[in-house]
Amino acid sequence: MTPVLALLVDAYRLLNARKIFWLTMILSLLVVGSFSLVGIDEQGISIAWWDLELFELNTGSAGYTKALFYKVIFTEFGVNIWLAWIATILGLITTASIFPEFLGAGSIDVVLSKPIGRFKLFLIKYITGLLFVFLQVCTFTTASFLVIGFRGGVWEPGLFIAIPLVTLFFSYLFSICALLGVITRSTIASLLLTVLVWFLLFIVQAAESSLMFFDLMLEQRVEGYQTAVERTETQLAKVEDPDDTERWAFLHETLEKRKENLAEAESSTASLDAWHTGLMSVLTVLPKTGETIELLSRWTIDLAELPEPMASTSRPLVNDDGDFRPDRDRLGQDMNEARRARSSWWILGTSTIFELVLVVFSAWLFYRRDF
Amino acid sequence: MTDEQHAIDVRDVHKTFKKRVKALRGVDLQVASGEIFGLLGPNGAGKSTLVKILMTVVRPSRISGTFLGHAIGHKPALQHVGYLPEHHNFPDYLTGRHVIEFSGALAGMLKHDRRTNANRLLDRVGMTRWASSRLKTYSKGMLQRVGLAQAMVNDPKIVVLDEPTDGVDPVGRREIRDLLLELRDEGRTIFLNSHLLSELEMVCDRVAIMVQGQVSMHGTIDELTHDSRRFEIDCVGDTPSWIDSIEDATTEISGETCCIRIRTDEPHDIQPVLDRLRNDGRIITRVHAVRESLEDLFMRAVTDERGEVASPGGVVEPRRAKGGDA
Repeated sequence: MTPVLALLVDAYRLLNARKIFWLTMILSLLVVGSFSLVGIDEQGISIAWWDLELFELNTGSAGYTKALFYKVIFTEFGVNIWLAWIATILGLITTASIFPEFLGAGSIDVVLSKPIGRFKLFLIKYITGLLFVFLQVCTFTTASFLVIGFRGGVWEPGLFIAIPLVTLFFSYLFSICALLGVITRSTIASLLLTVLVWFLLFIVQAAESSLMFFDLMLEQRVEGYQTAVERTETQLAKVEDPDDTERWAFLHETLEKRKENLAEAESSTASLDAWHTGLMSVLTVLPKTGETIELLSRWTIDLAELPEPMASTSRPLVNDDGDFRPDRDRLGQDMNEARRARSSWWILGTSTIFELVLVVFSAWLFYRRDF
Repeated sequence: MTDEQHAIDVRDVHKTFKKRVKALRGVDLQVASGEIFGLLGPNGAGKSTLVKILMTVVRPSRISGTFLGHAIGHKPALQHVGYLPEHHNFPDYLTGRHVIEFSGALAGMLKHDRRTNANRLLDRVGMTRWASSRLKTYSKGMLQRVGLAQAMVNDPKIVVLDEPTDGVDPVGRREIRDLLLELRDEGRTIFLNSHLLSELEMVCDRVAIMVQGQVSMHGTIDELTHDSRRFEIDCVGDTPSWIDSIEDATTEISGETCCIRIRTDEPHDIQPVLDRLRNDGRIITRVHAVRESLEDLFMRAVTDERGEVASPGGVVEPRRAKGGDA
């Protein structure tokens, strides 16, 4: 246990010696401090001494609760923007050098000459690399919990789930960074390549979201044309006067067109489904950075808590002229529900398997290498 | 000697890098417990590779033998080993005390013991005053002293030091030499890797000289220089006519002085010669016992029959032409 503790203490000393660690900590506290400037009441929201009357954001007619308001601020701004982007980039800058410096000539020799196995040594070093984000998220979440509690009167222990989630999210990227650090032994190369991989992951996830959006839209299109076909068939059945051939012919022609539109929509849906399924297969083996962070809002904000959406005007998806116009509100809800329907185990499990594979491979390279 | 008497007993050590560079080619080496052993050799002879294999920093291609009575690579045995690598690079955010205590902690020492030992060793290497300063403020010599202290923090049975006096001033070198002798007197084994031959000569009980991945010579300095031992007698006048009758004697005339060289390390053997010179009425100006220095020995080891010094680096196998004859 003593060597493990020694390596942990050494990791803390390393972070302590880096100004960027403290800079990030101060910035984190400033972000949390900004939460205390924001309030919500029956008329709208207040930012410092400005009161903004907002029809769609208040505890009165809009139906927001204080708890929901602060949870949304915490997840959307505090975690999704600050921790998952800015603090993560600062974290990578701080920790990218851990393995290249550790493996440098003259640094590694003394440590390897100690009675610690190489696998164990690598894993301890890897875990200590996550200390940066762990300490930052602990501070950020605890400060947020207190500020939201005192400022908004809402004590929400569920916020603390951000600590393991954000640390896990960072660990996906750090596993890539560690592998590249072991291979290249260069801080700059491992940092830049990690950011590049992160960007590629973002592209894959964004592409999957877009395909899902278009998939749902096409489903609406199919649904719209199915309704239009049914509507036209009903109209056709209602043509009572058999001599009204002009109307019968018009409806018949319309019905044929709607059926063609329906077949075309179904064909497009099938084609897009195939693409979506293919991309999902790719995504399954990759770490799901975005969805891991999204789990925070899934776990802390119940959909039932959200204010009821304003009743949308009930208009057909396909009008009488045969034009399809998607119901965007429903599309947004469907997207939200479809993403929420994905199993947390699938999101975290497959991502963690990716990380484990990389960590084991890095450890194996470390184990076999001569220094 | 048994395994217990040998701190290091390795045989047939091979190491090939990237399938072509043969850094070690069948090294056999024994280091007795409680002795100061010096490993010499030109750059690239494989000294550091051998040390790194013992320290599990480099994996051997082939090896047999023991290190402190255990198979090479047995991690728990390293609990009793202290190591100062060449060109060490301790993190500069640590203080001298941190480095020593960190090294002790990695060796599994308890906090109280490593603190006590750190204080004692800081004093022993003359670094107490700078114990709480960060390494980035240290000179090369100070870093070396702290490096030595961290190698001793776990009260090791064997201390492996790669160029321990590198960057240290003459006063510091002497202190380190004294320290090594003290460690030996405490019963510890010292394994030294150094280019400073004169220093090794002063402290080593036994040495080995490595050339191109093989041990070229090994033994005590007395054993290695035995054949080169001679007495030189300077006397006034020409070469004595009877000198040919003396076994292992040669002469050289320089001006009015004749230098008689007799290959022996026994003073008793030269007494008849001195008697005859006196009987001849010759004036004897100097009698001098001579033996090869370690530097002479080293140069002899690294020079081949043609008088060429061994090239640095391991032996590189030529690439085999694809499809051609080997």
